Amino acid sequence: MDTKNLLEIRNLNVDFKTPRGRVHALREVSFNAPKGKIVGIVGESGSGKSTVIWAMTQLLAGNGVVEGGEIYFNGKNVLDFSEDELRAFRGEEASIVFQDPMTSQIPVLSYSQQMSDIAYRQRNKSFREKIEHSKQIMRKVGIPDTEQRVYQYPHQFSGGMRQRAGIAMALLMNPLMLIGDEPTTALDVTMEAQIIHLLRSLQEELKSTVMIVSHNLGLIAELCDEVVVMYAGEVVEQGGIRQIFHNAKHPYTQALLECDPARVSNRARFLPTIPGDLPDLHIRPNGCVFAPRCKYALQRCEQDRPETYVIEGTHNTKCHLLDSSRDQFGTSSTIERQVSKTETYDSSLKNIIDFEKPPILNVENLNVRFEIMGPLQALLRRNRKRFVDAVLDVSLHLRQGETLGLVGESGSGKTTLGRAILGLVPSSRGSVEFDGRLLTDLSESVLRNLRQDMAMMFQDPIGSLSPRKTVGALIAEPFSLHRKDKKNLEEEARKLCDMVNLPHSFLNRYPHELSGGQARRVGVARALALEPKLIIADEPTAGLDVSVQGEVLNLMRDLQARRKLSYLIVTHNLPVIRHICDRLAIMYLGRIVEQGNGEMIFQKPAHPYTEALVHGVPQPDPDKRRNLVSIEGEVPSLTNRPSGCEFHNRCKYVQEKCKTLMPQEKVLPDGRTVQCHFPLIN
Amino acid sequence: MSEIASNKALESAKKDQGIKGHMSESREKLSLFLNNRLGMFGLMLVVLFFVSAIFAPYFATHDPFLMNIPQRMSGPTLEHWAGTDQLGRDTYSRVIYGGRVALKVAAIGVSISLFVGLLLGMLAGYGPRWLDNFLLLIFDSIRSFPTIVLALAAVALLGPSLELVLAVVIVTSIPGYARLARTSTLALKNTEFILAERSLGAHPAIIMWRHIMPNVIGPLLILAAMDVPVVVTIEAGLSFLGLGVLPPTASWGTILNEGYLVIRDTPWPIIAGGIPLVLTTLGFTFLGEALRDVFDPRLRKGK
Repeated sequence: MDTKNLLEIRNLNVDFKTPRGRVHALREVSFNAPKGKIVGIVGESGSGKSTVIWAMTQLLAGNGVVEGGEIYFNGKNVLDFSEDELRAFRGEEASIVFQDPMTSQIPVLSYSQQMSDIAYRQRNKSFREKIEHSKQIMRKVGIPDTEQRVYQYPHQFSGGMRQRAGIAMALLMNPLMLIGDEPTTALDVTMEAQIIHLLRSLQEELKSTVMIVSHNLGLIAELCDEVVVMYAGEVVEQGGIRQIFHNAKHPYTQALLECDPARVSNRARFLPTIPGDLPDLHIRPNGCVFAPRCKYALQRCEQDRPETYVIEGTHNTKCHLLDSSRDQFGTSSTIERQVSKTETYDSSLKNIIDFEKPPILNVENLNVRFEIMGPLQALLRRNRKRFVDAVLDVSLHLRQGETLGLVGESGSGKTTLGRAILGLVPSSRGSVEFDGRLLTDLSESVLRNLRQDMAMMFQDPIGSLSPRKTVGALIAEPFSLHRKDKKNLEEEARKLCDMVNLPHSFLNRYPHELSGGQARRVGVARALALEPKLIIADEPTAGLDVSVQGEVLNLMRDLQARRKLSYLIVTHNLPVIRHICDRLAIMYLGRIVEQGNGEMIFQKPAHPYTEALVHGVPQPDPDKRRNLVSIEGEVPSLTNRPSGCEFHNRCKYVQEKCKTLMPQEKVLPDGRTVQCHFPLIN
Repeated sequence: MSEIASNKALESAKKDQGIKGHMSESREKLSLFLNNRLGMFGLMLVVLFFVSAIFAPYFATHDPFLMNIPQRMSGPTLEHWAGTDQLGRDTYSRVIYGGRVALKVAAIGVSISLFVGLLLGMLAGYGPRWLDNFLLLIFDSIRSFPTIVLALAAVALLGPSLELVLAVVIVTSIPGYARLARTSTLALKNTEFILAERSLGAHPAIIMWRHIMPNVIGPLLILAAMDVPVVVTIEAGLSFLGLGVLPPTASWGTILNEGYLVIRDTPWPIIAGGIPLVLTTLGFTFLGEALRDVFDPRLRKGK
């Protein structure tokens, strides 16, 4: 073992025992984590990147078995540790920051208790000393007022603060290695930037070794020194951050980087994807594990397992194409493949926005107000507000064939607005006009009938499908609900399957047997079954891998062009929305703060909040690291709106006027509307 | 947390399994059930209970009403396997026929209260707030009466009968099912798939019947299996007190009641009436617990 490496994993194999045989989740995984470096493990779901962490900390699920290999940590093999040694190892030598601070912290214990529990092995320290130490660490991770806050409970912390507390807890025992398992995935872009910044400055200060596991290429590029790329349980390529991001050799790494919408700098009609699915890991692959999806696959790739080829220093990859004795690229031995779906989309089919007709959707001053306590309760607690305004005076319109993106952080009211437009959430004031009819006046039963023309796609692809119904029944359901004649339901279901590129064999499956992308396609099929005019899509790419995101968006665009659909896309994911939206509306605390042409907003944001969002997205390029956190603080609570301009307490450009006076909506020369006293462009 | 790792691996492995994946899951449940010894024992007892009650004439050795005064209160003999009672009737045959009463009360009582409870529970959970409050008020009022006291009051008013026992059983066990159904419905009400159905324009009745019911019914069926012994003992208890099934109809409760009167002369009627009660109770309890273990994945993990 090399002394400059803190962690060395050698030929690690992990199996999971399932009723249907063994899943070979990790196969011959080897990589190093050099001392004082930040190592990123990047891969899509099912790549085994988390399994590496669980194997390393010996916290695999009950059915997981390490089938060989060594994990040297600081010179000792972790796999030989006894239970006692493991307890000392976990948390004190290597500790983990979890993805979701909401579920990884104990809700019934205050941070002081949780943190002194973590330090349980320091018997010589008194409780008071432990608390003092906890406060110190909490200050270090940027939690204000630690004197009081250390005695608070997780629910009293906001999302970003909770993740900071999670980092504080991981750092408490001064571990040799800090492991982040998707540390920013549950956070908003603006919070993500802050956490990235924090992790980087902490690492510089403590000189500790950090391992980040993530699917987010932007995060990896911003943070890491070394990268390990995993696919289907194998390490396919590893090396320095620039070697991977600028000089990737493995076709999978190249494809993955290409797919990231943040990397596609020009607005593209169709996004690149990686066609195909993950291989079934019940069977050990004979050849290269990526061969079935690889564009360059040779005959040999499907038969022989590739060796590790060293490219330069620590940069190495497992790919036959790099074998010096191989034929050159593009020789006749390349396996003929079906043309990928992306290429079958007819890019000549242009989407035409119909400017002649009046807008299909017209929302005027819509308000959604939720009651948070009953009248009696409000009487008893007089100083509290009885209502919360989730959506405030929102006006927008959407033309036929147009795509409008509704962007904002969590809590901005964007999802509520989408649901209120469809009447799924009652609106308190304002009007929604759809296709010439005033929806806000209609009764529930008339509205039910009208739902044929407007459909919604929900955030959770699998969770939005009724779990006890087959895909066939789910797809045919719109017909059985709205059509008089119930014949040919199966045939209709098959037609829809074809439309969304779903094999017919899926019709008998249940939602939990689908992958995220497949379930999303079922959702698209259901939404489109009755040929609606308007589709409201709530986070259509949430929970999907980058390689699949593109596939879903391409499908949506293709169908839009064919059927003149209008989309209202609700999302927090700016890089994705950039490629598909004609216009953008930015929401903050229930108001639209900026609205206008998408590309113009991206090039030159007018509202400081928009600017913060646009610049908040980490770029998948290690040369474009940001040194500044573009926005401080967090979204205020809806029950406690700031005075004046509601953004003033987070705004970089704040002036006295902003603190007292609410800005009116202004129309800028380029046609955008913005709610700001001092727009960033004139 | 470590679960996530294995789940991810599982999920990726699940792809392209199609309906096979689903089949193997139910097969997995079946094998789990078959390996549960207490559950299998319970199932055997339950089957015995059903078969002996339905085919009572084939199991009985005598006419349960035939009196034979000279041979009254005899112990077990080859002729009378469990002895005779104070009127010389064959206790074994009366126990077998008594099973019919128990089965009738259990089957009718549990199925009606399950169905009504499910319906009311879903209505309370999915319907408007005022309906929920109103139904909850009724459920709680019923629950606040001890079953036996309620039964006593009803009998005092209407006189003892099997139908009355049934009615009391149904009314008092509805709230249990309804509350369970309501809680599950409330949890489902705001899930995305229910919202998705609403956005498709599905009628609330369709949503409740097609999408909520299949997800709610599982725990209710298990509760029902575990409720059968309760219902059987309520019937036996009321009949024992002389408030349920009237003599000369044979029921386990009346057998116990009559045996109690002659306990100084012969213990056999009490023993013969008690054993099936104990076995049925055990059988349904074991079966219910085994079912719960199979269907509730949270309880399965530890094993």
